[in-house]
Amino acid sequence: MDMELTSEQRLLVEAVENLGARWRTMPAGHERDYAHYEANLQGALAQGGFLRAGLDMGMLEAALVAIEVSRLPVVTSVGASALVAAALTGDVPDGPIAIVSGDWRKAQRLLAVATHAIVLRDDQALLIDLADVAIEPVDSVCGYPYGRFVAEPDWAAAALVGDGATLRQWARVAIACEAAGAAQSAIALTVEHVKQRFAFGRAIGSYQAVQHRLAQCHQIACAMRFLALYAAWSGEAVAADIAATYAQDHVNKLAFDLHQFSGGMGVTCEYQLHFFTYRLRALQAELGGADGAATGVYDGLWNAAA
Amino acid sequence: MEFAWTAEQQAYRSHVKGALEDLLPDDWDSHYAPQGYGSADQINFSREFCPKLAERGLLVRHWPEQWGGESADPWEQFILAEEMKWRGEPRGPQYMNVNWLGPVLMKYGTPEQQNEHLGRIRRGEVIWCQGYSEPGAGTDLAALQTRAEPKGNGYVVNGQKIWTSYSRLADFCFLLARTGSARKDISIFLVPMNTPGIEVKPFPGLVGEGHLNEVFFTDVEVPGSARVGEEGKAWDIITYALSFERVGIPRYHVGKKLLDKAIAQLTREGRGDDPIIKARVGRIVAKFEAARLLTYVVVDQRAKGGGPSVEANISRITASEACTDLTNFLMEYVPDCLTTGDPVLREFHRGNIAATIAAGTYELQLNLIARGALDLPRGN
Repeated sequence: MDMELTSEQRLLVEAVENLGARWRTMPAGHERDYAHYEANLQGALAQGGFLRAGLDMGMLEAALVAIEVSRLPVVTSVGASALVAAALTGDVPDGPIAIVSGDWRKAQRLLAVATHAIVLRDDQALLIDLADVAIEPVDSVCGYPYGRFVAEPDWAAAALVGDGATLRQWARVAIACEAAGAAQSAIALTVEHVKQRFAFGRAIGSYQAVQHRLAQCHQIACAMRFLALYAAWSGEAVAADIAATYAQDHVNKLAFDLHQFSGGMGVTCEYQLHFFTYRLRALQAELGGADGAATGVYDGLWNAAA
Repeated sequence: MEFAWTAEQQAYRSHVKGALEDLLPDDWDSHYAPQGYGSADQINFSREFCPKLAERGLLVRHWPEQWGGESADPWEQFILAEEMKWRGEPRGPQYMNVNWLGPVLMKYGTPEQQNEHLGRIRRGEVIWCQGYSEPGAGTDLAALQTRAEPKGNGYVVNGQKIWTSYSRLADFCFLLARTGSARKDISIFLVPMNTPGIEVKPFPGLVGEGHLNEVFFTDVEVPGSARVGEEGKAWDIITYALSFERVGIPRYHVGKKLLDKAIAQLTREGRGDDPIIKARVGRIVAKFEAARLLTYVVVDQRAKGGGPSVEANISRITASEACTDLTNFLMEYVPDCLTTGDPVLREFHRGNIAATIAAGTYELQLNLIARGALDLPRGN
């Protein structure tokens, strides 16, 4: 048991950090967007081999990549590309990937920008090349671009690339990793704000009422990170459900407290908080949300033998 | 980062489990465990059990060889603690001795104090209590009023302690007393509980047996040789001791066991497939697992020679929240655990009311995280 990064893992995280440095602030022209998918970063991650970390190094390393990239305000499909795609039985697509679940008629996260979709359909996982599939963008305030199928895809023509349960497991790990990264940045931004912002003659971060809730948020972010990393390392379905349960269950707390302490600034698009908190909101309900994942925990621990 | 246990650690866990199977009596689970480790029965049992554990080399393996240990990895200390907690902590109060009282004496005690006390602790034949809290000083420990006035070569102690777990049956007290006028002018004394002038008065309360006692010190004469460290310089020692205490009890490890019991009952009652229960229980499991991993962060730091850190506070509040959620769940879905139900669940409920208060309140932990991890400014 070693809870610190190895030198190799640290180098990997530093490399991702360096690669993402130019996107720590939003690119010109996108500062006041609700969300911005950054194709150049997605391409750089693919070109640098970072999205293959799960295949080349291990799923824990893929999770480290996903968390680190998710700390940036710009969006990629890092969770799906680095973690879910690594569990496919066939070839791994190079381009951005959307994870599609539930009713195909509904808006799906990243579908507007993806080249491929991994569709979780009952007990099957299907891969659809979206090159010739009509997708229409859907407006959303959530922190990702959304899209939907114009017509029902030809499921019979889609490639079977794995079983639904396994891919759903890795999609839950991806949710936990993306949430962990976004939570870290949202907290860091808010902590900086409460140190600078004065009210009634004092920095608002000096009030205990503020400190206690931010300390709780920090604890939550630490727990999210380690649960996500453990789930990736173990490859256990229950661990993935646990990581997603914890992450999705705590979004309400993070979104409320961090916006509360960012005050009026937090409701403007020029302030970066929404790039993280609204991304957390988008992740909150995916794959059944905390209730769905928690039910998986229960069934995995107490009903697995039944 | 590597989450796997080594083959040696797995073997050690099996060894500890085997020793517990050998050493615990047949009625351990039914008679002793439900009473809690502050009960007279468990304290008295620990006087028989810990020497046997010591004979098997399992009581202080994590201590340096100089003090009778085997310099075992701190991970082994936690594996032992997890397995002891799983069975209801048969070491009784002696878990304190081996986890932080002993290490404090190794670091800060005089050679005479080390010779006098470490052997007894190592052999598992002594019960200690901690004379920390007072009626007017709990979380704000530096407000304590018990005074140790110099007299000759020693001190005369007057004052009152409260909530002092195990004191009724303790052999020694790790006593904090004021030795000067400055706020943190506090010293530590190692005081035999049979010293004239010490009176222990148990009083009833919500937590398990043996935890609520008042201890009165009336003109108690303590030799200067009983003081640990320099006069008035106890604060660093207290911080050191508390950093061990805050992760000393692996509460996360019993979460699954208690949920097993609760779910077995709910299943018998035909409620095992209730989706609300499933969603609730899954969330509790997630919090316990978070507490486990965040505690392992602290253990890892110790294994690498690190000192007290804010990660201990983070671990503590995570475990507190998990235990509180479990308590709430039991009250809402298995309420008869307080009446005719499983006594182990009842005892968990009883103990948990104080778990977010003892060893520094939940709110104090948040203060320390706000400073130590987020560097938030102090108020005026």
